[in-house]
Amino acid sequence: MSCSCTKWTLLTLTGVTLQLIGLSLFVFGFFPVKPALSGFSGPESYNAPACDDLVGNRNPSEISRPSDQLRSLYQELSGIPPLFDRLILMVVDGLPAEFVLGKDGKPPRKVFTEAMPYTQSLLASGKAIGYHAKAAPPTVTMPRLKAMVSGAIGGFLDVAFNFNTQAFLDDNLLGQLFSIGWKMVMLGDETWLKLFPGLFTRHDGVSSFFVKDTVEVDKNVSRHLGNELSRDDWNLLILHYLGLDHVGHVGGRNSVLMAPKLAEMDEIVKMIHTSIILTQENDQEHTLLTNYWRFFKSSRMVVSDHGMTENGNHGGSSFEETDSLALFIGLRNHVSDYASATHNTAHQVDIAPTLALLLGVPIPKNSVGVMISETFDLLKDDHQLRALELNSWQLLRLLQAQLSGLSCGNTPCNGVGDSQRSGTSDCNGSIEKMLCCLYMNAAVLHSSWKSKKVSDRPNSWEDYSNAIAAYDKFLKTASEWLSSRATDKPVGMLAFGVAAMLLSCLILSSLVLYMCREVYLVEKERLSHPNNDMRGWLLDETFVVGVILIIVISMTSSSMVEEEQYIWHFMTSTLFLLLLRKTAQLLPAGSILSKEQSRKCKFQICSISVLVICGRIMRGWHQGGVNWTNLPDISKWLEQAGSDHLKTIQLVSGCLVICVGLYSLSLFETKKIIIVVVGFSFSISGLLLLLRILKFQDYKHVSSSYGATLLAQIIYAVLATTTIGSFVTLPWLMPIRISNMDSNHDINSSSPVPSDVQYKSPGLELRDSLYVIGWAYILCWCALQLLLQLPINSMPILLLLVEIMASMLYFFYEGQHCTEWVEVSALYFLGMAGHFALGNSNTLATIDVAGAFIGISNHSTVLSGILMFIITYASPMLVLVSMVVYMSVKSYHFIPQKIDSGHLLKRMLGFPCLVPLGLNSILLTAYTIVLLLMRNHLFVWSVFSPKYLYVCGFTVCIYIGVSVVAATGIYTYSVLAWRKTKQSSNH
Amino acid sequence: MQSKKANEDVSPDLKVRPSVSATSPESLWNERFLWGLGLIQASINDQISNRKKHRMSKASTWNSSQSMSITQAFLIHLICGLGLAVGICVAHNVYSINLISHPSHTLCLILAVETPIVILLYSCFRQNPDKCSYLKAVVRAILGLSVGALISALGAIALGAPVGIQYLLKTINWSLLISLFTCVPAASVFGSSWADWQRIFAHTKPNRSIEYMICIPAHTAIIGAWFGAWPMPLDWEKPWQEWPICVSYGAMVGYLVGIVASLGLAIVRGRKQHHKGD
Repeated sequence: MSCSCTKWTLLTLTGVTLQLIGLSLFVFGFFPVKPALSGFSGPESYNAPACDDLVGNRNPSEISRPSDQLRSLYQELSGIPPLFDRLILMVVDGLPAEFVLGKDGKPPRKVFTEAMPYTQSLLASGKAIGYHAKAAPPTVTMPRLKAMVSGAIGGFLDVAFNFNTQAFLDDNLLGQLFSIGWKMVMLGDETWLKLFPGLFTRHDGVSSFFVKDTVEVDKNVSRHLGNELSRDDWNLLILHYLGLDHVGHVGGRNSVLMAPKLAEMDEIVKMIHTSIILTQENDQEHTLLTNYWRFFKSSRMVVSDHGMTENGNHGGSSFEETDSLALFIGLRNHVSDYASATHNTAHQVDIAPTLALLLGVPIPKNSVGVMISETFDLLKDDHQLRALELNSWQLLRLLQAQLSGLSCGNTPCNGVGDSQRSGTSDCNGSIEKMLCCLYMNAAVLHSSWKSKKVSDRPNSWEDYSNAIAAYDKFLKTASEWLSSRATDKPVGMLAFGVAAMLLSCLILSSLVLYMCREVYLVEKERLSHPNNDMRGWLLDETFVVGVILIIVISMTSSSMVEEEQYIWHFMTSTLFLLLLRKTAQLLPAGSILSKEQSRKCKFQICSISVLVICGRIMRGWHQGGVNWTNLPDISKWLEQAGSDHLKTIQLVSGCLVICVGLYSLSLFETKKIIIVVVGFSFSISGLLLLLRILKFQDYKHVSSSYGATLLAQIIYAVLATTTIGSFVTLPWLMPIRISNMDSNHDINSSSPVPSDVQYKSPGLELRDSLYVIGWAYILCWCALQLLLQLPINSMPILLLLVEIMASMLYFFYEGQHCTEWVEVSALYFLGMAGHFALGNSNTLATIDVAGAFIGISNHSTVLSGILMFIITYASPMLVLVSMVVYMSVKSYHFIPQKIDSGHLLKRMLGFPCLVPLGLNSILLTAYTIVLLLMRNHLFVWSVFSPKYLYVCGFTVCIYIGVSVVAATGIYTYSVLAWRKTKQSSNH
Repeated sequence: MQSKKANEDVSPDLKVRPSVSATSPESLWNERFLWGLGLIQASINDQISNRKKHRMSKASTWNSSQSMSITQAFLIHLICGLGLAVGICVAHNVYSINLISHPSHTLCLILAVETPIVILLYSCFRQNPDKCSYLKAVVRAILGLSVGALISALGAIALGAPVGIQYLLKTINWSLLISLFTCVPAASVFGSSWADWQRIFAHTKPNRSIEYMICIPAHTAIIGAWFGAWPMPLDWEKPWQEWPICVSYGAMVGYLVGIVASLGLAIVRGRKQHHKGD
């Protein structure tokens, strides 16, 4: 029998391991983490990569130079005179390049050409060049803006890992311009302000919240335009027009409002261009019109076009979405051929290096873009080549960071090519070799051109074009490789991961099924009336299966993922109402009600009512979700009521948690002294907690003074001591009972137990110690949460504790009428509902970062991360920990049976460990498949991926919780069994 | 056991009805409607009993004292369903409001039409008619309406219905509607017999035709309302996603489905019993 127990454990472990492997494979496949370079490009970027060692040490001092010095330093180092010292960046949100440039050699539709006469005339006369700038998905405002200014393609995890700040901290164009002392003005979408706080001297942000408003958003931008254009105290003016995007959201690509909106944009282009011509004839001006576009045209529009909510949800990867415009005006070159303009293609990331080189700042470090060479036609030949060289060096640095094997070693530091290798070679072989060879070709050609330029002129033109072509080839290849690294998903890895997860899901759920079958076979043999209440338990079993199905199905809908809290609350409450109905089935009519039964039923009905009421209050505590967050809820109401009330509530719930904890400990009747010790240490931590609230909590948050930190650390220590102490020592201290059990608190005492079983199996002692250990876990966890969570969440913590207590009471009185897996799933659902009741949602924005620094004296990412995990997964973890008490409560019903030890352990640990694992594996696997199917969905980055991160977190949480439960069970059992055999041998 | 008598039992009550409805709070219109109803019922009863005299003169095995024929069941359900339709039509055509624009008013109107129909119809089929007068059945149905409304309101709130002054009237009206579909027929037929209530609502084990007619529409109405709540949190920005519009629609659709289902079951059962009888 113990062999079977081992087999079960092994199978479970196999399932878990498989799941872990599959999950990590999938995560690393789906969210590629590319090694990025930290820091900012400085003067060293004007040297060849091989010389980094020489220059690198000087780096910090260079950055801290005053901006004027830095500017002249850059000029001197780069060797290119900066072409422009002013820039107007006009971003028209959602304008497809097709509207301006046409598509596939055809001019744009007549409506659009007629709507934009000025822009078209600029294009036709060669005063402007336009590009189809391909944007990388997700085509959502913020990532696209980041790509434009940094040239980098960010992975999803980059977004996820700096969730506490929206500010853009990577190396970017605006930061570089700021460092050389440019003054910047921003008008339009406030995303810029979130990304670059403090960079703008003047700004007027508009929100893109009201999607139906297509007029006012743009008026708010344009109203300052005349004023700004007449001033000359800025170098960079950013205009971000949202109206066209809103038009698209309201009416689609062919909306009647589109042509007037384009005409309005054209007017603005005209206004900017003419004002520049009129007022600043001498200044060289450069207007860049750049955009990105989202998909509106096809039938998918109706489904996906939800309009732009506050957090800006959009972004697929079809051609229509990624076809953004980059229009350069004022470069005064002569690309007059219209047809060629429609073919001009570039990448959105190319904008960053192009602008950096044009404006005389280093290219941002992680840029994968290639400068658009046509825009440099104004430059002299050697300057153009120098620009290409600078871009190549920057890409080479990035390549070296990602490909450790890449070292094109023999590039000398001063940038003068070696003369040993004169000819160019065909490049093939591994990617490292190829890139290196391409670069070397270009460098060699460049240096040979330089040397020839000095000596003989006539040959130079051919060499020059060769060098340009070689540089182009290297840059294109490198850029393509780098950007594919950022977006490609390795299919094999994903498939293998999903397969592993499916397999483990299969293993775990079949284990649950087998467990059910085994238990019921035993039960059926034992029960003389097997048909008892068949229908009743069938209903709630069916419902639990239905819940899982419904949740899996609802995960495919982005709105349901956003509003998941409703589903869990609805399902949990319905399940409890169904259990209430089942209790009503057991309530016998009238006079045959014995006193015992009536008490039992009353307790059951009371505890279910408590569960339902607490659940409802918790649902009302935080509105949660995404779309209805502005609706009133209890937490908002309390916060309005003032901090005094908040503090009172916190104190009251702290007191009540202590009371509830002591009460539930006192339900245990065997050995008082143990209870007193555990209860005492818990109360100490509780009182310290109250003291901390009273003393250190000011209006909004806990002050981070030394005293507060110290007190928090003391509380951590007390809680840890209580938990670990009770886990380690209780099995040793629990008195071994020799006599028949006292039927003090046993409701199943009708079946007498043969005394030989009593000797061998430590059932009763196990039950008692698990009860105390379990409550110690629960109470310490609650106290920890009271310390860490926001003050407003103290009441939900109390309610959760009450819910758990009520459900334990219910399950105790339930007896064998309810199947255990349904009960464990009910607890699991309770945990999920509680998770959302604590204010969590499926967006990363709701993670409480402030609490993660409580009691930490010096900054530590690991400790803060652990605390953040504790805060976020408070409720599921509490429920998992309460499984220890559940085991003890349930064992009242099978411990008196004559079962041997291996069986006992399996029976006790089976459901509480397997059901959460099984449920989670089903949800995880289903959600992985959903994410895979939705990889091209509009909301994949904003809705589905954050949700997936939460699901991964749940998986980790379940692993930890289940291992705690299993470890407690096994350790307690083995200690007690050893003591028991020793004692019986003594006798 | 005594099928002929079962059908005839109904008619004496119908003759008493004028006095009953005079004391009941309903209007004159209801009174006249009831007269009509009584006449229909009486004539049907006559017809049926005549036909049965023909067909089952030898032996009849109708098992209960309150058993009803399929035609009767059909008529009751038809009238209930029609009442619902009439309520909605009146709201729509006479007052030109609907559930979406004026939820609580429309629900009020539907209730005003449907409540008397359900109460008065089902009171005819009360248990132990010799011990319990028609008036008593009506009174306990009204009591059942309010108690059921309280319970369903609590249930709805527990499942997440919004709480607040602005929702109070809507919640009351909705819970009255649900109570009308579920508790009122049971209250007027069973009264306060816990065993019957438990059998119908906790165990879902109806035995007789009338129990099927109470049990199935009640359950389907609740299930319909449960499913009707699903679109509420979604961000479709449709006006009918408000509480309690889609839930009321769900309840009504569920009720109508339940009516059809219970009729179907009644027919199947009738055939079976007919076979058994032969």
